[in-house]
Amino acid sequence: MNPEENEVISRCQQGDEEALKEIFDKYHKKVYRIAYGVVRHREEALDIVQEVFIKLLHSIKNFKGRSQFYTYLYRMTMNTAIDHARKTGKQFFSSLDEEGSFEPRDELEKGPERLFLQKELEERVKLAMNKLPAEQKAALIFRDVEGLSYQEMAEAMGCSIGTVMSRLHYGRKKMQELLKEYVGLHGQDRDSSDPQGQNLPRSKKD
Amino acid sequence: MKNSCSSISKLLEKYFDREVTEKERVLVEGHLQDCLACRNALRSMEELRTLIKVPVEEAVQKEEFPWVWQKIEREIRLQKKLTWWQTLRSWIDVSPLLKRKVWIPAAATLVVLLLISAQIIFQKTPSYPDASVVEYVESQTDNVMVYQLEKPKVTVIWLFEGPEKEQTTL
Repeated sequence: MNPEENEVISRCQQGDEEALKEIFDKYHKKVYRIAYGVVRHREEALDIVQEVFIKLLHSIKNFKGRSQFYTYLYRMTMNTAIDHARKTGKQFFSSLDEEGSFEPRDELEKGPERLFLQKELEERVKLAMNKLPAEQKAALIFRDVEGLSYQEMAEAMGCSIGTVMSRLHYGRKKMQELLKEYVGLHGQDRDSSDPQGQNLPRSKKD
Repeated sequence: MKNSCSSISKLLEKYFDREVTEKERVLVEGHLQDCLACRNALRSMEELRTLIKVPVEEAVQKEEFPWVWQKIEREIRLQKKLTWWQTLRSWIDVSPLLKRKVWIPAAATLVVLLLISAQIIFQKTPSYPDASVVEYVESQTDNVMVYQLEKPKVTVIWLFEGPEKEQTTL
């Protein structure tokens, strides 16, 4: 943790709202990404962001600095989002035309058919995510949305790296099964676009 | 020596997450050059990540956050007011005297006692509005107190003959 952030956290621990604003400015998008990744609903994700920062003002006194501050915040966000999803229970019954789902105006310019297909796909992803156990869902969001390393994930989830890898593996496996209509349709033609596997990830040292 | 898919598949997910060492990376990439199944497995992971991540990124880019902070500020202020009130309520609830509401008869009793005491204390004291003592003389037989009233310009002479007797002269 850098000294500047340390100082801001210390001020926030004393109830300084300006310090909370500084933390909000730095982390609100990350918090929103995690929240949206869990609930996949704009209004609910914004409610979660609000709830997280209010909670933070009260609970930051308990932050002892033994872990990185962002992993502490991410864990709080994930727990809040999962609790929120459990309480509302809406995720299991949401429909494609639900009000309040994110639909920017320029999306309409893509054409109704494409928009419908996109929304259908998003809805399928949302339903599939909701079928995962909370720990696997959290692992997928931390890694695939937020891009945390295994070490950071282990800190945020309070478990070992081995457990992180296991949760990621089973989460991905289940998601691929649930979304088999959209994932893994690799015929010869698709593979021919990258016959030698040129577009591959690099190692973490790159 | 060509590595088998089973041995590489253990590394494939780590490779996808960029968690492999340089040595492992070389090993995996060497295998991927020749193995269509593993390349497809890798691509499936990439597609899944895109499905999960892209809608989130789009939502973040389109969102405006300043008003979210304003909502948070408002909520904090509201909670502060509630906290003050809740503190008072909790104090009232915690105090056994106030909780049992015995303070109402206690206060009423106190007021009655004060009234009775006041009546006893001020019973023998003359009360003249706007009066001021002009002179006070003590003797063995009588005590004399002279009051001067301002408005009607009347002088009151108060004679104390003893503890039981008293006389007023205008």
